[in-house]
Amino acid sequence: MSTLLKREVVYLITGVVAVTMFIDFFFFPKGWDVASTLQTWAMIIGNIALGLGAVRLLLFYGKQVQKRTVGVWHYSVWLIVYFFICLITGLAGYITLGHQDKNPIYYWNFTNVYTPLGQALYAMTGFYIFSAAYRAFRARNIDAALLLIAGCFTLLTNAPIGEVIWVQIPVIGRWFLDIGQVPGMRTFMIAGAFGLLAYGFRALLGKEKGFYAEVGGQ
Amino acid sequence: MTKQETILDKMQKIDRRILYWVLFIGLMIPFVSPLGLPVAVTPSTVDLYKELTKVKTGEVIIINLAFGVSAWSECLPATVASTKLLFKQGAKIIFLGVHYDVDLTWAKIKDQVPAFKTLTYGKNYVYLGFYTGGEATVARLATSIRTVFPTDADKKSLDEIEMMKNVNVAKDIKLVLSSDTGDWCDYYIRQWRVPYGTPVGEIGIAMLGSSYMPHYQAGILFGMTVGVRGGAELEKLIGELGEATVTMDSINISHVMAIVAIGLANLGYAATVKRGGK
Amino acid sequence: MDERGDYLRVNTLIVAGRVAALGLLIATLALFYVYMYLGKKGREVQIRALPAMEAIPEAVGRAAEMGKPLMYTIGIGGGLSDASQGPQILASMSIMGYAARECIRSGVKMDAFIPVADALPLAEETLRTAFLAEGKVEEFSPDIVRFISGQSPYCTAVLGYLQRERPASNLLIGGFYYESVIIAEAGNTIGAIQIGGTNNTHQMPFLIATCDYMLLAEELFAAGAAIGKDPDVLGTIKGEDIMKMVLLVLTGVGFLLGFARVPFLIDILKV
Repeated sequence: MSTLLKREVVYLITGVVAVTMFIDFFFFPKGWDVASTLQTWAMIIGNIALGLGAVRLLLFYGKQVQKRTVGVWHYSVWLIVYFFICLITGLAGYITLGHQDKNPIYYWNFTNVYTPLGQALYAMTGFYIFSAAYRAFRARNIDAALLLIAGCFTLLTNAPIGEVIWVQIPVIGRWFLDIGQVPGMRTFMIAGAFGLLAYGFRALLGKEKGFYAEVGGQ
Repeated sequence: MTKQETILDKMQKIDRRILYWVLFIGLMIPFVSPLGLPVAVTPSTVDLYKELTKVKTGEVIIINLAFGVSAWSECLPATVASTKLLFKQGAKIIFLGVHYDVDLTWAKIKDQVPAFKTLTYGKNYVYLGFYTGGEATVARLATSIRTVFPTDADKKSLDEIEMMKNVNVAKDIKLVLSSDTGDWCDYYIRQWRVPYGTPVGEIGIAMLGSSYMPHYQAGILFGMTVGVRGGAELEKLIGELGEATVTMDSINISHVMAIVAIGLANLGYAATVKRGGK
Repeated sequence: MDERGDYLRVNTLIVAGRVAALGLLIATLALFYVYMYLGKKGREVQIRALPAMEAIPEAVGRAAEMGKPLMYTIGIGGGLSDASQGPQILASMSIMGYAARECIRSGVKMDAFIPVADALPLAEETLRTAFLAEGKVEEFSPDIVRFISGQSPYCTAVLGYLQRERPASNLLIGGFYYESVIIAEAGNTIGAIQIGGTNNTHQMPFLIATCDYMLLAEELFAAGAAIGKDPDVLGTIKGEDIMKMVLLVLTGVGFLLGFARVPFLIDILKV
């Protein structure tokens, strides 16, 4: 039964949905609303999955607290406490005032705790890119040296100071972008699109293991 | 017998923490002494600006706020500049967003665009709020806005909103401006631009510049701004300098420091190789 | 009632503007099928080795030697129903199953970070199946799969894990956004061997700079085929390559026709 559910039912649903969307996109029969309905269902299922995720999260970190895992359990306690603070205050705001943001505690948490932390993490990206560039941009061979030169020109093109250093820097940098990088990006996009198509084809024919939660290898 | 490390060897192994501190201190310099270097405007931003200036009074625009608060520094300035320009043109704007913190972004935009104080909600602009579901929802939006948003963010029916009375499908929209940090512009290209011909413009983070440049060069996007620099360029074009222009000083410092760090590392590497090391 | 019919030109059987796309799609699928059929009939398809896939046993071996875990993460993606991110997540599941089998065989602990809620059941089932395939289903625990929602919390959770557990190997394969550079660089800080893979063009440069091995664009989707080396599955990869040659020829012809100001090809492709 589980193999039937895992494979055959998934296979059937995938095939029906694929054919429906195909017909809708290319042939568009008048009054054919099935595709739109399926798209709405996809939206709903994706959102319901968040509830499942929340339960799994609580189970996992609850176990960490129970086991008193060294170095982790106190963070897990805080996560669970904060989870319920946000859940209760958000629900209270939604039920009593019509929107979760209308609950002052929820709104304060969101604007003064979650938002600045998110912004700080995004800002860290710049620092990590800086150290990654320092480590990766070494002229070990001709290819790496060319990459290094192109990278330096691109960096200085993006910053107005490049033009101040030498007026031709943005010209050369634009050349690298327009003639070197954009065709390369197009190549990846086209290749990726074909790879995606082939993957979808294999999945439709039941040949793709990951799609059916099966495993390959010997 | 171990070789003693010279300064050149050490230059290619600088501790990350030192690099981060040096960068952090460097980024503080513009706050003390602003550089104020002029920003040259790129063709993609010029094209975006030109297309927005062609918008006529009463035409309806969608601005898709597909960036969270963490990307405010990159996407918000250009979004604010575009909003100011579109209001000057007399356009009617529909704002909608895909992040759960879009309400905060909406509040920030209202705060930074003075025109909101004199314009009327429902007549000149409307805020529909948060939507989810990715490309499927964008496809549904093109065929029926009311299916995705039966009401606006304040639960008012779209049929009761003056500017939404004859607006429900892609053909009712003059153009779409997608301000995003990921694939949302791709969704609008595939589900609005390609099937219905609705012009799409992109306000993106710096990481997306290279990904959307092929679309811009092929004429699929009518224009695009890239990162903070794009925001600074658009501010310059509309004649109202703002946050992005201020941030350009930090961009200058950080980029120069990156070049210096890379240069030091390569100097150390070259010296090591010359000496016969690895 | 769908209002598209009011203004889409649907007077013909096929929606106007999509005929050429349909033709190309059918040609591509036909090519895939032909080569799959030939593969089943015994015609061997050789594909080049994917260094990243060959590095997975090496990564597992390193983790086994050091007595450290292996971390697997799929990136924040967008969701399984996302047209561009969903297939990347699914392709990543194939690779995760393969890596899991290697880990189970070597006695290495695998920790999977799955920030996409709708991929959670699929990830759990894939790992359960891996344990079953190795005859150790009793060792499976759902705690192998950790869910953290949201991009920033996910990044923070992974960073904390990397600092505490210090895994010997990191596999970052799937649909990534800006978290790729944060997680990969943090992995470099602890000296882990890293294998990356994504189809998101905006993240490829960061993963290339920070990972030791990389699956670029279509290699991510071909990796699942490369694991099993089924001849009919490899046929689709051959079909992809043939179609790319066709596009190359079309591009060349289009360039020449464009040079001669003959709009024939453009008009055909616009149909």
